[in-house]
Amino acid sequence: MTERPYIALKGVRKGYRLGEQAIPIFADLNLDIPRGDFVAIMGPSGSGKSTLLNMLAGVESADAGEVSIGGARLDLMGEAARSAWRAGNMGIVFQFYNLLPMLNAAENVELPLLLRPIPARERRARVERVLDLVGLAGRGKQYPGLMSGGQQQRVGIARAIATDPDLLLCDEPTGDLDRASADDVLDMLRLLNRELGKTIVMVTHDPRAASHAQRTLHLDKGHFIEERRAA
Amino acid sequence: MLFPFRQTRVMIRANLLSLPRWMAIATSMVFSVALVVLVLAGFLSMAAGFERALTSAGSRSVAVILGGGTNQETGSDIPAAVIRTIEAMRGDIGVARDAAGNPALSREIVVPVELSNDQAGAKMLALRGMDPTGPALRDGVALTAGRFARPGAREIVVGDSIARAFAALAVGREVRLGAVTFTVVGHFSSGGSAFESELWADLDVVRSAFDRQGEVQSVRVRLDGAGGIDRLRSALGGLTATPLVAVVEADLYAAQSAGTATLIRLFGWPIALLMALGATAGAINTMMSSVSDRTVEIATVRALGFSRLSAFVATWVEAAVLSAIGVAIGLAASWLIFNGWQASTVGANNASLSFRLTLDGGVLLTTALLGLAIGVVGGALPAVAATRLPLTAALRARG
Ligand SMILES: Nc1ncnc2c1ncn2[C@@H]1O[C@H](COP(=O)(O)OP(=O)(O)O)[C@@H](O)[C@H]1O
Ligand SMILES: [Mg+2]
Repeated sequence: MTERPYIALKGVRKGYRLGEQAIPIFADLNLDIPRGDFVAIMGPSGSGKSTLLNMLAGVESADAGEVSIGGARLDLMGEAARSAWRAGNMGIVFQFYNLLPMLNAAENVELPLLLRPIPARERRARVERVLDLVGLAGRGKQYPGLMSGGQQQRVGIARAIATDPDLLLCDEPTGDLDRASADDVLDMLRLLNRELGKTIVMVTHDPRAASHAQRTLHLDKGHFIEERRAA
Repeated sequence: MLFPFRQTRVMIRANLLSLPRWMAIATSMVFSVALVVLVLAGFLSMAAGFERALTSAGSRSVAVILGGGTNQETGSDIPAAVIRTIEAMRGDIGVARDAAGNPALSREIVVPVELSNDQAGAKMLALRGMDPTGPALRDGVALTAGRFARPGAREIVVGDSIARAFAALAVGREVRLGAVTFTVVGHFSSGGSAFESELWADLDVVRSAFDRQGEVQSVRVRLDGAGGIDRLRSALGGLTATPLVAVVEADLYAAQSAGTATLIRLFGWPIALLMALGATAGAINTMMSSVSDRTVEIATVRALGFSRLSAFVATWVEAAVLSAIGVAIGLAASWLIFNGWQASTVGANNASLSFRLTLDGGVLLTTALLGLAIGVVGGALPAVAATRLPLTAALRARG
């Protein structure tokens, strides 16, 4: 008897339409990720990495097949339910950070906490704690526009883990960073995985980034064609 | 489900905080709404002020008797013999009597006179000749300077509205009306009503000055209690020689004002509605571009788990708040510009009638509602658009 994997895609089909033309991305995609894993997903541009991540985030839905995370069937949920599920169970780290420029770092980090019945004082304490965790203690009042890319991405990570979700989804989290900053961010993700047990799915086209993960999946022509597991 | 207050609040705040962009949106919305409010308030306050001038002139306890088959003073004629008959009527004819037991009445005649004013050139004014009882047969009339005209004297008292407009009508000045020189002996107010646009003098003096000997256009009486008008009518009904009508003073003036006030409104509403339509289209346009400017931000917070409802409400509330600000500015401007502004028009007897534009509660409420409607209607579509943004915009687009 094997334990049910934390993330399971079964027979997922997904395509886009461009006018008359159908663009198939996945015909029959299957994927298992156990809880606590750190998986890098690589593949050429246009191979569907972002599409896969969006389906895991519940931001896009599969045309057919099962998408289940932690026992929750995202493919069976409606839009509002997925939204609520997302708020409670996952953090998303974006390639371009997606911080709201008119809010300072602390306010950006606080955003997902606003979705929960947490008193203001505790929200502030949590914001401070996660900012501290990503090495930005005392920088809460700073605005994103005045921060380096690496710092902004750390704010992005702080925001993603503010609600202490089990799962982090990262789409090219280092794609817009210089090497030193990228290493910083990757070390942080590894730390979150090792020390806090977060399950991380990271899309990247950078093998160096992928090398930080425990496991690398290559996506090509709609299938995972290669797999590497770190020692 | 609980309403997402905190989500909505932070989304509104995030939007308001992007000041330069927001200022552009705000300015265009606020001003278009304010303009609509200003225009509608202008027309409605004009109609309301006109109505007030005429309806407040009328009292329910005073009746005006008219003859000659008309129900206006112009063209009315009451033969002297009939008046003597009325005066001689004993018993209850629904009219208050004086100490001597005679009906307290004022015979009146109105003649148009031309007066030149230094700024505006010649103007037609109404000169009313009346018995000494005349002022007392009007509610709310009070001297503001001098005294009333003495019987038989070539004296006039001037309503405050025209006294303000004509320096030549100051107390003590002499003024030539028709062939006769009158002395201004007093000014009176009537709370801004139509009376204030009149000149009052002794009946016989006016009749002789304008060669209208023996003529009486109307007779004013004070009614004796609520049923007075009915008793008066039945008493007058007995006079078969000349058909007379008795009209409650308030109804007389209301009938005069209704047509003009309706005309002003009929003219004002389509203009205001057309402008409101334009402003709504403008609001939709600006809010739409505001939403599309914020695509990544809205999609980002939605991807974090913010609800559709919060995206909808944040946009909608913003439009509503902006239009509310526009309403406030529009009403404040209307108040400053229009309220109390003295306007004049041609009233009964072809004479000029002054009135003050009036921003009363009804005008304020109506214009405020129209202004708010612009935001509420114009914000709805963009608010829906905000809920329909593809969330992938957050994950794929450059922030
Ligand atoms: N909304 C869309 N409509 C049509 N085609 C799309 C859409 N999103 C992605 N695609 C196409 O799907 C394919 C996979 O895209 P994506 O998942 O972004 O790939 P990757 O992230 O691996 O570069 C690409 O060919 C892309 O052009
Ligand atoms: Mg991609």
